[in-house]
Parts: sequence; structure tokens; C-alpha cells
Amino acid sequence: MADFFQLAINGFAIGGVYALAAIGFVIVYEATGVVNFAAGQFVMFGTFAGVAALVNAQLPWPIAYAAALFAMAAFGVLFFLLVYWPLKLSPAVTVIIGTVAISITMQNAALLVFGSWPVRIPSPLEGMTVEVGGAVVSVHALLTMAITALLVGGLWFLLHRTSFGIGMRAVAQDVQAARLMGLKVGRVLAMSWVLGALLAGAAGLLLGPMWFADVNMGDPVALKAFAATIIGGFGSLPGAVVGGIFVGLSEVLGASYISSAYKDLISFGIMIGFLFVRPQGMFGEKIQDRG
Amino acid sequence: MQITRKAFLKSIAALCVAPMAGVPARAEGGGEILVGATVPMTGPLSLTGLQYLNSLRLAEENINKTGGINGRKLKIVFEDTQGSNSTAVNAYVKLAQETKPAFFFLSSYSTQNLAVSPEVKKVQVPAMYAGGADAIAEGGNDWMFRLRPTDSVAAAGMVACVTTVLKARKVGILYIQNDFGQGGAASAVKALEAQSVVVVGREAYGQTDKDFSAQIINLRNKGAEAVLLFNYPQDGALVLRQYKALGMKAPLVGSSSLYVTATMQLLSPADLENTFCVLDTLVDPAMSPRMKDFIEQYRAKFGNDPDPYGLAYYDGAFLMADAMRQAGLDPAALQKWLLTQKSWDGIGHNYAYDSKGNGVHEVVIVKTKAGSKALELVKKVTLS
Amino acid sequence: MRILRSFGLALCILAAGGVLSLVLPEYHLRLLNLSVVASIAVIGLNIAFGYVGLISLGHAAFVGLGAYIMAISTTRLGLSPWLAMPAAVAATAAFAVAIGLPLLRLKGHYLALATLGLNVSFVIVASNWLEMTGGTNGIAQIPSFSILHHAISDERSFLWLALVSLTLVVVVATLLHHSRYGRALISVRDDELAAEMTGIDTTRLKIMGFAFSAAYAAFAGCLFASHVRFISPEDFSYAHSINYLAMLIVGGEGTIVGAILGSVLLTFLPEWLRFLGNAYLALFGLLVFLVLVFLPTGIVGLRKFVRGPSRVDRSVQAAAEVRP
Repeated sequence: MADFFQLAINGFAIGGVYALAAIGFVIVYEATGVVNFAAGQFVMFGTFAGVAALVNAQLPWPIAYAAALFAMAAFGVLFFLLVYWPLKLSPAVTVIIGTVAISITMQNAALLVFGSWPVRIPSPLEGMTVEVGGAVVSVHALLTMAITALLVGGLWFLLHRTSFGIGMRAVAQDVQAARLMGLKVGRVLAMSWVLGALLAGAAGLLLGPMWFADVNMGDPVALKAFAATIIGGFGSLPGAVVGGIFVGLSEVLGASYISSAYKDLISFGIMIGFLFVRPQGMFGEKIQDRG
Repeated sequence: MQITRKAFLKSIAALCVAPMAGVPARAEGGGEILVGATVPMTGPLSLTGLQYLNSLRLAEENINKTGGINGRKLKIVFEDTQGSNSTAVNAYVKLAQETKPAFFFLSSYSTQNLAVSPEVKKVQVPAMYAGGADAIAEGGNDWMFRLRPTDSVAAAGMVACVTTVLKARKVGILYIQNDFGQGGAASAVKALEAQSVVVVGREAYGQTDKDFSAQIINLRNKGAEAVLLFNYPQDGALVLRQYKALGMKAPLVGSSSLYVTATMQLLSPADLENTFCVLDTLVDPAMSPRMKDFIEQYRAKFGNDPDPYGLAYYDGAFLMADAMRQAGLDPAALQKWLLTQKSWDGIGHNYAYDSKGNGVHEVVIVKTKAGSKALELVKKVTLS
Repeated sequence: MRILRSFGLALCILAAGGVLSLVLPEYHLRLLNLSVVASIAVIGLNIAFGYVGLISLGHAAFVGLGAYIMAISTTRLGLSPWLAMPAAVAATAAFAVAIGLPLLRLKGHYLALATLGLNVSFVIVASNWLEMTGGTNGIAQIPSFSILHHAISDERSFLWLALVSLTLVVVVATLLHHSRYGRALISVRDDELAAEMTGIDTTRLKIMGFAFSAAYAAFAGCLFASHVRFISPEDFSYAHSINYLAMLIVGGEGTIVGAILGSVLLTFLPEWLRFLGNAYLALFGLLVFLVLVFLPTGIVGLRKFVRGPSRVDRSVQAAAEVRP
């Protein structure tokens, strides 16, 4: 039982990271209809923004985190201007492939700058663990889960209770109508990219100390975040969270109780199963082909 | 502006063909002796690749400083294999055709070696490689010479650590899902069963996995008294940290990449306690004066520490230089000379080639000194 | 008329390839072989993507499935490659039909993600089913094709085999394109609803297109296996699927010439740009992106600078406008 508890906690911790990555991806999709295949590299950029601020520049914690998040926000704007804008009238297929192409560029640009050696990022909570019901949990992992929960709550509030969020959802539903209503559509779209980049940045900063940083870390995270999004439901915030935790749990529990060699097949199998039977996922939109 | 379609197609064709023409044909005459090296210089595999890129450069410099090959200078031409088998073959064929080297060095990745093997057979020039998979030598290619112990020799070393140093009777195996991990785990199981040690569990993980708690807990619950770990650098460091965090008491015996610099820099001395590692050889200045020279020169030139992979290629370059000095540049003569070496004295090993082109039959068991990351020799294991 | 021109194209390929095979050195012959094999896979992808509009990020899985069936049946069962190849192509096409039935109800990014998941799953299975696939160590010593006891193992004779295969594939694809069935396929891509209303069974058509595309991929996989004579799961990872898609887009989607041009260019380009090292892939991504933005019809689209836009261009543009 203690073992199960330990595994469940670890599954939750890893699932929390997938969930954060998935939310960053979903928020962009919600507002712009763009399926961002570079989402994994956004997370990697977040981690390496942390590397640059904490390891290379040796800034103190609060300043380093703020600087890294600021850099991610700036990157969101840049991505909006240089990648999203030129493709905004292209067919969905073209946009998908465009983000795939840029993802390759992002990964290799990071390789050019940071090299291929993995880096250890310190955590302010380095080495601290607590014992809960026989399971050993690092405080950093607990904090990651707490921050994920907070961010999700804040995001829900932003989308449903503020005029900005309502504007964002209006743009997502009908750009023309939103424009006629006097919304500054361009600004709303840009802000959604900034939000997406910030969330991915937070995911990257949080996972860095748990996993080490390396420039190839983006794709595996993205694949799991995609699986999480499909399982939870495209374009659904609670879906992204539940999906992320579901994938994290299935990975750890699957490796323990079914087969460690085939554990990834379990999450992708479930994802494909969902696509076949219930493409809208657990909480997702009903429409099959948006965008 | 009137361009006809024909003209357009012509210019496209010209563009395609242009880079193919004008291939520099280097003379083989009395000038430099050319050697080709295909190394993963970019991409994820470059972590290890840069080690032997550097070592080969150092070897080239040192060989030329001491008179080269009977007065002729040596020049190593490098091509990048990246992380892909297909690119590795392209790199090899490019060198074979454009540089026409008298000798080759291939990468240390088994699947790249396996992919290049049919081409090496066609070109018929000796090539040294450092991939560990036993399958490479089983393919019956007598132009390929291995510079490192095979994976089964390394696995036998890990088994020897379990049976003679740790005296454990129940062993768990944790391995990375790639050619190295799968091959190593399979030969370890065979060797352990031959010595009637019980393998209580075999757990796998993916190359990009970040959480290993399920696998580690499974091995603990199955009562493993020692754990064999077949790993690559980064995942090895993560496994070790989680192994400690989960409070595992059973000693862990890692494969060679557990103690390479790329892994060690991610770990603290406490993480490394109660672990052992089976290395090709211990790269430590105390081993011999020649080793000390190599380490100091490498550090001075490249700013980090060499690892056994780098040393293997350094030795390989000197072995090749000896071969050229004594047997000339004829490929068949070089091949014959290498096959007759039964005790060539390198820095890392005594190289003795068998008919399959395996030259190294020994490994060392090492551990870290208490409270530090410095390594000490536990035992040398020689296998026939 | 257009069919005749395409047969002309096929003859051109044979003639140009034949001449090149005599003058080119080994290394460039090898690259040419790789690009011809890739062309066949990309022409297949063009059927699914260019004609029917199905985004597949899992094309490499079909190439891999074909290659693995070929490798296993020749090395384990001792089957002749000539027998193994049709078996591999048929089995892969059958697999595509089976998986297409549920899969092709999906569209757009759902299909993209599903095929991506399919590709990832394929690699996981190929890496772990040790008894059958040899795991990540792959399968070595795959036999070459041979004609009258002459093994097609050197680059030059392989090029002939590859060119004949490519010609065959181009002819079949052209006939398909201009058949009633091919036009129906394109109508599905342009406007599925309208196609359905004219009484076209769109689901069946899409599955057929998907199966055709998979069969081409498997054919390319078999050629790849007998060319390199060693395969491992890494050769069929989703990065390769993305590369196939990039070849099609850079060349010009919806056209066979584009598929071939893109394949040749993106096979040679990394070799020409070897000196860039790590910067190459960064540049590659940027290049594909720039093509998407400035040359949405690919290299083939450059033709309109030469003569007015062709019919193909117009239909592609029309399709682009129709889709949201």
C-alpha cells in the first residue's frame, strides 16, 4: 500500500508537469485555433531560460525566476509576430507543419547556444523531502503540484471572470463578430501566445530541477502533453489537467503493474483509443475539425 | 523577363549537379597520409562523440610531433554522423570516395556500426570502431576492429562484480531500451544464470524517461540484493538520484556511462555512495605515467576530463600508426598485421585481436572514494 | 494530354537517371538512391495528403512496416526478396485499411496527432518485440535483390532498380490521378460535403487513398531495407515522417514532380550543408517555414514565374481558399 501511494504521488508529480505543458498548448489553441506542435520546445525554452538566469548568470532566486518568465513572455510576442502572423490565413495543415518546422529550429538553436551536455539546475528546495504515509516525496515535487493547481485556478478565473478572458473566448469563437464588437483582436491573439509561453515557461522552470535540463527534452514532453490533451479533450482546461495526470499515472502505474517496456504504449494506446471512440476526449469540444 | 521552361529546368539541373562536380581528389603519393573518421559531432550522440573527436585530434598532433609515420604526416579527416544511421553511412561513403583514406575510425554507436558494416566490406580498408554490440563482430566482417570490450564482456564484468565483490545471490536488472541496454541485459541474464545467481526482475525504461520509481520499487519488492544498471549518461544520473531518494539499500552496479564526466557532473558524492561501475579502464593519472601524460594533455587542450571512450580512440590511433609503420599502407597488409597483434601495449589496455576483430577482453570494476567523486580500482576482470 | 506529359516525365527520369548512373561517383550515387527511395515514399504521401488532404505524421511507420516485413521474411524465413516485397506491400496496405476504418473519421489536427501516436507506437513495438524485430539492435544482413544470380548490391545497379521502380510508381500515380477515382479523391479534399452530396462514398475513398499511400510507403521501405541492408527502429521514427512531409511541401504538394524534386533536394541539402554542423537543422526548420510562407505551392510553384500559373497551381490555390 505504501508502494502504491509512493507510485501514485510520483505519477501525480510527473502528470502535473504534463498538465502544465498541456495547458500552455490548450490556451493557444483555444484562442487562435492553432495546434502548436512546438509546444514541447516552449517548455524546453522555459527550462533553459532558468539555466541562463540561475546557472549562467547566477542571479538570486526571485530575480532569476522573474527574468526567465519575462524572457518567455517576450518570446511569446516574438512567436506571435514571426510565426503565427505570417501563417494566420493559411490552411490548418500549413500551420501545423509550420510549427513543426519552427520546433526543429528552436531545438537546434538551443543546442547551438547551450550545447548538448545535460545541466543540473538547483532548486530553492534542494534535497528537501517529506515522508507521507510511508512514501518519500520531494518538497519541490509537492510545490510543483501546488503551483500547477494555482495556475489552473487563476487561469479559469481569467478566462471566465475577467473581461479580457471573455474577449479571448469571443475571439476564439468568431473573429469577425469579435472585431465588430470592437475587440482589439490582434492584441487578444498576441496575449494568448504570451499566456501560452508563460505557462510553458512555468512548466519548464518547475521541471528543470527534477529532471535535469537538456536541449532534447522538448519532444518527449510534447508527445505526452498531446496525449494528455486528446485524452482530456481538445481545448478544455480541466481536460488538460485531468489528461496530464492521467498520462502521468498510467506511465508510473503501468510500468509497475503491467510492463515497464511497454508503458508508453499504454498512454498512446489509450490516446488512440480515445480518438477512435470519443475524439472529443473526456471534457472536450463536440466539433471534430475546428481550425 | 522571358524564361523558357527548358532554361528553367536546365538551371535546376545545373544547380543539382554543380556540387557533385569538382570533387577534390587528394593524391596518395608522398604527402600526408589520410585517415577518415566518422564521428557524431552534432545531435544527441555528440555528448560521447566529442570525446573521441578530441582524442583523435590529440593523437594526430602527438603522432606528427614524434615523426609521423616514417616521416610522413598523418591527417585525420572528420565527417559528422549525427544521430542517424543513414547519415553515418553517408559520411562513411563520402570519406571513402572523396578522401580515399588509408584507414577509418567509425563511431562508438552500435547501430551506426551495423549500418556501415556492409559498406566497409565493399571498400576493403581496415576500420576501427567502438560500438559494443556483439552482433557487429558476429556479422563476419574481417575489416572491422573493435577498440573496446564487447557488451557481453562488459556485462560479464558487472556479473563478476555481483558474484565476487558483492556476493549477492538475488539480482535485479534495470536497463535502458536501446541496443546497448537490451543487449547488455540479455547477456547479463545469461551470465548470471550460468553462475546460478537468481535474476529476480528485469525492468526497462525509455531513453527519455524521467521517472523510474515504478521500476526501482518493483526490484526492491522482488528482493534484489544488488541491482545491475545498463544506462546512458543522463538517465543514469536520474536513476541514481531516485534510487537514493527511495531509500534503496542494495548496492548498484552501473555500466560504463554511469561514471563518465557527463553523468558525474550531475551528481553529488552522496549520490554515488554504495555504487560500483564497470568501466573499460580506469582513466586516472595514478594508473601509469603514459596515462598521466594523456590526461594532462587532454585537459590542457580541451578543458575537461577524458573518459574511457576518448582513451580507446587515442590508443586506436597509435595502434594504427604502429601498423602503418610496420606493415605499410596496403589495406590487406594492415588488416593482417592487426589480426596478428596478441599483446599490443596501449595506455588503456593490452590489445589482442581475435579472428572476429575483438581486441579488448578486460574491464575494471571501480567505485568512488568515500565522500568524493574520485574513482578507485576495485578489481580488474579479464575474460577469455 | 497531361497523362502523356507524365509518361514523358517517367521517361525523363529513366534517361536522366541512366546518364547520371554512368557519370556519378559512388557517394553521389548513394545519395541519389536514397532520394529515389524517398521519392517513392513521398509520392505515396502525396496521394494521402496532396490528393485526399489527410495529414499524416506517421508515414514513416508504414515505410517501417514494409521494411520490417521484408527484412523478417527474408532473413528469418529465407524468402526471396522478390516474393517478400509484394507480401510486405500487400500486408502494409491491409494494415492501413484496418487502421484507416476508425482513424479516418478524424480530421485535421486530430488525424495529425493520431498518426503521430501511431508512429510513436510503431517505434515502441519495433524496439521491444525482441524475438521478432531484434529490438533496437535492428536486423542486419538483409539480402539484396538479384537478377539472374547478379546481386543488385552496388550503388550503380541499385540505382537502375530504384529508377525502374520510381518510373513504375510515377506511371501508376499518374493513372490514378487522372482516373475517375483520382478525380473523386481530389473532390473529397477540396470539399468533402459537396463530394458526398454528389453521391461519392467519401469514407471508402479516403480509406482507399490511405491504403494506396501506405502501399507506396511499404514499397519504399522494402527498397530501403535491401539498399542499406540494415534496419533499426530509429530509421522510422516520427522525425522521418516529418521529413517526408517537409519533402512534399518544399517540392510542392499535390504534384508528382514536386514530390520528386522535394525528395531529391532534401536528401542532398543536408549533405551539401555538412559544414554547418549543428546549425543545419536550425536552418532546415527555418527553410521549411519560409517555403510555407512565401512559396505555398513549393518549388513547383516557381514555374508560374516561368509561364503563367498552371492548372495544378490554380486547383491548389482554390483548395487553399476553400478550406477555413
